[in-house]
Amino acid sequence: MSHNTRREFLRHSAALATLRAVSPWALQLAGIGAAAAASDPRDYRAIVCLFMRGANDCHNTVVPLDRAGYDGYAAARQDIAIPRNELLPIKPGNAQGREFGLHPSLAPVQALFDKGNAAILANVGPLIVPIKDANTFRSTTIARPPKLFSHNDQEAIWQAFSPEGAKMGWGGKMCDLLSGMNGKHTFTAISTAGNAVFLASEKTVQYQITNSGAVAFNRLAAKDIYGSTKAAEALRAQIQSGASAMGGEVLAQEYGNVVGRSIEAQGLVSAALAKLPENDARIALPADLDKDRLAQQLRIVARMIGVREDENMQQRRQVFYVSLGGFDTHDNQLAKQAELLTSVGKSIAYFQQAMEALGVADKVTLFTASDFGRALLNNGDGTDHGWGGHHFIVGGAVKGGQLYGQFPEVALRTSTDVGNGRLLPTTSVDQYAATLGKWMGVSRSDLPVVLPNLGNFASADLGFLG
Amino acid sequence: MFRPLQLLALAVALPLLLASCASHMSWPSEPRAIPRPARLASTEPAPTPAEASRFLQQATFGPSMGEIEALTRSNFSSWVDQQMATKQTLTAPLIEPYYKALKKGENLKQDQYFSAFWKTSATAPDQLRQRVAFALSEIFVISMDGMLDVKMRAIANYHDMLARNAFGDFRTLIEEVSRHPAMGVYLSHLRNLKEDPVKGRVPDENYAREVMQLFTIGLQELNPDGTLKLRNGEPIETYTNEDITGLAKVFTGFSYGSFERADQDFHNAGRNPDWEIRPMVGYNQFHSGSEKRFLGVTIPASQFPSADDDLKIAMDRLFNHPNVGPFFGRQLIQRLVTSNPSPAYVRRVTEAFNNNGAGVRGDMQAVIRAVLLDPEARSAASLKDAGFGKVREPILRLSQWMRAFNATSIAGNFDMYNTDNPGNALGQSPMRSPTVFNFYRPGYVPPGSMVAKRNMVAPEMQIVSESSVAGYANFIQSVIDGGVGRAANNKRDIQPDYSAQMALADSTDRLVAHIDLLLTASQLSPESRRRISEAVNEIRIPANNPTQAENARRNRVKLATLLTMVSPEYLVQK
Repeated sequence: MSHNTRREFLRHSAALATLRAVSPWALQLAGIGAAAAASDPRDYRAIVCLFMRGANDCHNTVVPLDRAGYDGYAAARQDIAIPRNELLPIKPGNAQGREFGLHPSLAPVQALFDKGNAAILANVGPLIVPIKDANTFRSTTIARPPKLFSHNDQEAIWQAFSPEGAKMGWGGKMCDLLSGMNGKHTFTAISTAGNAVFLASEKTVQYQITNSGAVAFNRLAAKDIYGSTKAAEALRAQIQSGASAMGGEVLAQEYGNVVGRSIEAQGLVSAALAKLPENDARIALPADLDKDRLAQQLRIVARMIGVREDENMQQRRQVFYVSLGGFDTHDNQLAKQAELLTSVGKSIAYFQQAMEALGVADKVTLFTASDFGRALLNNGDGTDHGWGGHHFIVGGAVKGGQLYGQFPEVALRTSTDVGNGRLLPTTSVDQYAATLGKWMGVSRSDLPVVLPNLGNFASADLGFLG
Repeated sequence: MFRPLQLLALAVALPLLLASCASHMSWPSEPRAIPRPARLASTEPAPTPAEASRFLQQATFGPSMGEIEALTRSNFSSWVDQQMATKQTLTAPLIEPYYKALKKGENLKQDQYFSAFWKTSATAPDQLRQRVAFALSEIFVISMDGMLDVKMRAIANYHDMLARNAFGDFRTLIEEVSRHPAMGVYLSHLRNLKEDPVKGRVPDENYAREVMQLFTIGLQELNPDGTLKLRNGEPIETYTNEDITGLAKVFTGFSYGSFERADQDFHNAGRNPDWEIRPMVGYNQFHSGSEKRFLGVTIPASQFPSADDDLKIAMDRLFNHPNVGPFFGRQLIQRLVTSNPSPAYVRRVTEAFNNNGAGVRGDMQAVIRAVLLDPEARSAASLKDAGFGKVREPILRLSQWMRAFNATSIAGNFDMYNTDNPGNALGQSPMRSPTVFNFYRPGYVPPGSMVAKRNMVAPEMQIVSESSVAGYANFIQSVIDGGVGRAANNKRDIQPDYSAQMALADSTDRLVAHIDLLLTASQLSPESRRRISEAVNEIRIPANNPTQAENARRNRVKLATLLTMVSPEYLVQK
């Protein structure tokens, strides 16, 4: 353990000690993380959450291809069913020969799946306890997440197990436990897509980066501004004074804290990223993705991962958040979803290739999430809000080419249909998160700190990571 | 398809039809008459300049020194009365010339609406109306980011609809929001078809959900003071998914404004491009005739359902829900005054919503008065409350700069552009929210913050990030220095007039006090004032070179403005 890391670790432990009353595991956890780091200085792991905002329609993303399965799907979907011969076939190794079809825009994911670098997790969604079937959901008061089917709330619940206004997400809580391994704590949690509650926690403050890196305050070091030699100093003092000199003003202090982090981080980020510019062949975007909103986010993630060992970074555990909006396909779904999934598929493939080029493919795992799945019934040319959905996990450490969880029967009035083909999830977000958390190095006894309802579910490891 | 004969027939029939369908085929030019208590001449004392500036920063897009001075000779109530009597400024006529000049295959551009917005915000005399309309645009959200990307007539018309209803009544407002084709496109209830049991098709639920969750009653039952009602210690949800399914049937059968309401009119707007600016109408042949149950109301099944009648029942039900006052009132307080109003403040606004003093519910004028004239909004005590106020959102910072310095447009149109980029602009453009949930949520809590620890909210902090704080500071520095807008001949279109400030600039103290009053309502801390004065004082004004002296005075104004507009006392509006 370097001097610096050790000091950070002690500071971290002290900080956590004050939390003991709330989370008795926390201190012990930090110790385990730091010990693991000490054993392997090159040790690195990162997870990247790709959040599809607006709720991706799961039913048109992964479709059963066997005759009975497809017919049930087509009968329910009617005008917005994807023709069977346009779906991209995949044959999960663990599905007893059953075939599925990916959305026609997901050819790059099909290729990753076939190569064993991508897996599917079927019908996952927020749950508090397992709910046996739709009838139990309807006819009992069994515990269920609040505010089902509401975008902003379910987005927060996916990320933080609590509706809008949630304060701590499971990505952030993992960072609380793991950031002791990093030289610069500031870069443990990084968002390219605004302030995500996924990355929020007691101690972790996410760093929001732009697609091209950090933005510097101009003229803070200018010799003079308009001829005033005191102006630059005054400018710095004015922009930073919120954090300290405002007599406890709550909002000013919060704004000032962001300014402080901005200035501190910008120098480090810019210095580090200069060593891996956008046009570096390992992470450069192909021409067709140059303007892609999602690929641009993944490029800055790739660059940050590429410079993880730089003296300005010193990262061993990182959690990233990227997102793409527009999935709320109440109408014109066929065209809209195709466009969005094209971006998702190509961007994921780009990212996997970049990770391979940087030699970290087995150290970085990307996974998808979304507000909820969508109803199976169509409403004319689109679909309405659902609950469970299917997701992808991609990376060199993924036991790919497999389908995890239970693929639902795609039809109406099944045991997982809570109405109009909204799926009752058969795997909980907690289990999904626990599998990722374990891989990141959060120990089994510590997972309940991050995932309070985990103990309600049979398995804490879904097996999709090695 | 072009059908001259049919168009001719329409033209002949038009006056007759207008008479019968007026309420559904065009927007009313005047809001419906509302009984209101008589306005007595106000006996309020005149405010000080600082009090006047503070009030005008809440009630307008930012005050000029002339407006501050005028208000110190009047009072708040009289000012509101006078604003409420001021004729509405329209944005649609600023878009129409571009529309008329379009050639085949061309589309309107978003910049045309941005210019109309900034011109109106910066120069319109009906400032209170426009400022409230902007607040409403952040509650009843539509966005040109998506299907409306070239529908600038619809966007401007929607803006004007909000502004028209800003001083009307809430019941009319929500119906016009619900019938607006921009909303119909955005939340996909335009051309929403009734269910088809044979094909297994169900009505689109999007609007039914959001009109309840975001526009009227919210998710949980509220006390009149905005706090949650509890049953067995738990919040009570206002509706279930069954209510949404029921209400979704009401919002079927609405589509493009048309006189005939023929099948092809429902499906195809092609024949009449004015659909963008006409209220949606009900097409009963596409409207669900099955039973509709929602929020305790049952509309029985009917073989001859009426979309318009059902909409009225639904709107009345939502309007009369006890949640509307606290749900809407609290958000209006947040948009105009403070992020964390006390329950008592919310209750007073709810009471005004519920009864304007003449027994009328939903009188927007009463609600606006209650929000702006409340003791909590006006008192000096709240200035000392460390939790009071709101982060001034980026659009309002730029509008305030324009108005404080009487900015004018060289081309005349306020030639503006998309200011979405947080890294080099505002991180916010009017009518371009990323989703129907606005740029930020009313309940947003910055993670891991003092705000969170104190159980407060800070909505505008949702768009504040490590990148945006620097992006804004750099952008405003450039604006203060060289103006804003598209440049022609190396000069940006929107230029400030700093002459009034330059006239004071020989005295640093007078200059800083003036800018402090103008931009922060004299809320700069003594340390800030001292720092700004010292830095400004370093700019020497040469005694014997008039040209250089004018430049130095201008530079003093620019520096004092910059150091004020990046300060926390400015960024947090109290």
